[in-house]
Amino acid sequence: MAAEPKGHWRGLRNAAVLLVIWEIVGRLDLVAGGALPGFSEIVIRLYEDWGDYPRHIWATVYASTLGFLIGNALGIGAGVIFAMSPTMLRLFRGVNIAVFALPPIAIAPILVLTLSGMAPRIALAALGVYFVTMTATVIGLSQADSRATDVIRAYGGSRWDALRLVRFRGALPSILAGLRVAAPNAVLGAILAEFGGGGRWGLGAYLLGSLGRGEPDRLWGIGLVATLIAGLSYAVFAILASRTLGATRAVTLNTAVPETDTGNRSLAVRIALTLGTIALPFIMWWGFIKLTGVPELISKTPWGVVQYLFLGPTAESAQTRLLAALSETLPITFVGMAAGLLFAFLLAISSRLFPRAVEAFLPVALVTQTMPLVALTPLLVLILGRGTSLTLWVTISVTFFPAFVTLAQGLALVPRSAEDVPRAYGASRWTEMRMVTLPASLPYLFAATRLTVPRALLGVMIAEWLATGKGLGNLLNQSRGFLDYGMIWTVAAVSVLLSVLFYQVVVLVEKRVLKRLGMTTAE
Amino acid sequence: MSLILDRRRFLGTAAASAAAASFPMRGRAATPFTMQAAWINDAEFAGYFIAIDEGYYAAEGLDVTYLSGGPDVIPESTIIAGRADLALTTPDTTIKAIVDQGAPFKIIGAQYQKNPIGIVSLVSNPINEPKDLIGKTLAVPPVNVISVNAMLALNGIDPADVNIVPYAYDPTPLIQGEIDASLDFTTNVPYTISQQGVEATSFLLYDFGFTIYNDTVVVTEETLATKRAELVSWLRASRKGWEENFKDPNLWPPKWKDTWFAGTGRTIENEIFFNNAQQPLMESPAGFMAMTEEGIEANLRALSEVGIKGTREMFDTTLLEEI
Repeated sequence: MAAEPKGHWRGLRNAAVLLVIWEIVGRLDLVAGGALPGFSEIVIRLYEDWGDYPRHIWATVYASTLGFLIGNALGIGAGVIFAMSPTMLRLFRGVNIAVFALPPIAIAPILVLTLSGMAPRIALAALGVYFVTMTATVIGLSQADSRATDVIRAYGGSRWDALRLVRFRGALPSILAGLRVAAPNAVLGAILAEFGGGGRWGLGAYLLGSLGRGEPDRLWGIGLVATLIAGLSYAVFAILASRTLGATRAVTLNTAVPETDTGNRSLAVRIALTLGTIALPFIMWWGFIKLTGVPELISKTPWGVVQYLFLGPTAESAQTRLLAALSETLPITFVGMAAGLLFAFLLAISSRLFPRAVEAFLPVALVTQTMPLVALTPLLVLILGRGTSLTLWVTISVTFFPAFVTLAQGLALVPRSAEDVPRAYGASRWTEMRMVTLPASLPYLFAATRLTVPRALLGVMIAEWLATGKGLGNLLNQSRGFLDYGMIWTVAAVSVLLSVLFYQVVVLVEKRVLKRLGMTTAE
Repeated sequence: MSLILDRRRFLGTAAASAAAASFPMRGRAATPFTMQAAWINDAEFAGYFIAIDEGYYAAEGLDVTYLSGGPDVIPESTIIAGRADLALTTPDTTIKAIVDQGAPFKIIGAQYQKNPIGIVSLVSNPINEPKDLIGKTLAVPPVNVISVNAMLALNGIDPADVNIVPYAYDPTPLIQGEIDASLDFTTNVPYTISQQGVEATSFLLYDFGFTIYNDTVVVTEETLATKRAELVSWLRASRKGWEENFKDPNLWPPKWKDTWFAGTGRTIENEIFFNNAQQPLMESPAGFMAMTEEGIEANLRALSEVGIKGTREMFDTTLLEEI
């Protein structure tokens, strides 16, 4: 991001060109009969409505800040424990993957059922933060300079002294980079929970209240304000990082759940650990329910879900509805994921071949990432209708950006010397790409795939919930209306399990393939 | 930030002045009582706002906390979880939950004698009766899908002949012709649509055989057993609030611009339209919040058409009799 002044101006010029195009398209009502208003119309409306905003913004900022603090405290705390104890890291692997993979939309209704007031928003914000910070902490702590820790050891310092005096300082850049990614996550998490959680204040609640007015300019205004808050929260930590560290770092996204080597343990210990890893998320689920003390009718334990789905009087109807929904949701999830990856891939290649064109596109891409999906989807309906294309576009828009960042990073890391070989033999840019750059970036393609798995499911479910009325998303929404609590928990559990399963499959394939090619996993 | 605090303080002073004016409740500490509404703050709940602001609940010895609803709030969940004493619900989902899941609910009153939900369409592409829906796209909030299926079945229409899509309470798709009709409150949406320069038409599901109440007052059996006196007080004060409201439906909404209606994103004119439109749907010879034997019978009959087998025992009219 160390842009020279010239690049800076180009960015501004590109932004200005985009705004002018937006203004013309909007003013002439070219998109879906005015569903996309001109930029100035949105800003004027924002000014008129400004009286409404402060309390909504305050509620959203309040929930996301608390969630951010709690999620980070947990993330850093867990990261320290995991870095000190590989056994704990192994034991919590299942929990960590589940947190990474869970589609927020599936658990939002559950949080709303079991917690009250601001708590569901804070919890969803914290969940969005925990994983990023935890991985950043573990990686930062384990990359400490071993010579410096040796000095502490040599002078009789404890592990705690080494942690305090050396490793934590060394980990700071990594943790700050994690916080930067975590901050907008907290905002988006809070807004998603507001959308499904009732309550009067918050941008999500305001959006809901305004949906009924049929005024796209206000909806876009709310979306822009939400985008701005998410973007600002990112900027605050980017500036903080550059101030404390004296240099900025590229955006990095951690897609891997930290792993430990368990090779030198006895078989019995390994089996016990594996069982513990699988059991722990369910134990935590059960504990959460017992702790909140919400009546059995509403909150289902893992056993309650099994009873509902297999043993109860409505088991058969529940299975039929679940399978029908899955058969609608899964194919489009895979297609959407593939399309998102392909788009990211093409974009990453083009960014090498036509850097300036891609640079112009990136601001738009960034906005689609920070604009809450729940705000974007109703607007997309007006443009795309309610068919498969809508679901695909929503899915692509949630998956491509993180995949692109990861892939671009991979392409940039290909050794120059390897690229020089085909060039010396007179190969075209494309041949060089095909023979060297692409194979070399394979680990990053896998990393990107891991990242898109849960997001694809999230995108499809949001589109189903808000627009198409099909599949798991709709089943979840409808079950809420019918007070079918068993089904709400079932859908949440099944979608998390599926995400974890996909993730594990990708990890297995990745290990096999990379091993054969003699490559290592990209972090 | 918290409106509740302001209201508490207001209620405190209201109770104090009430005491000074020697109301019968003098000296008794107010009992905390929480109600869960069915929707975001709009004219649908005007009677309760009056009863809170004017101290009717306080005069009955209740310190009412009001929880707003919204499209994604399931009011019944709040009372099962014990976070509210009473909820305003749709009778179809409530009775279905009692039948299917053994939820311990009792219906003790009904705000709307005629359910205000109906099919809204544009005059330029009118849907005037259920038969007009065949082959059309109708947007329905997932909560109300059972109601629509019931109405279609009652009129001899196969629900498969209507393309039902989720409705996000946004009239834009209707105005733009992306859908042909939507299911919404007829007391509200036609006004919103007219603000966009388009004329809307509507019919009530009630008038086509789906004869159910709406905003039924629901409590758990446990609350009914332990807080019976408070529930009767609540019904009495709420009825008084509604009577006051309809003395002049144009009077109250403007007063709440900066309190109840602040930040909802809706206009006061919209609320005034709503308040006028809902009057005929709420009035009953037996008084506001009433449930008559004929009304209950009509509810059960309509619901049985869609396979929801409710019984008379799910309704408890004895509290209304005590008002």
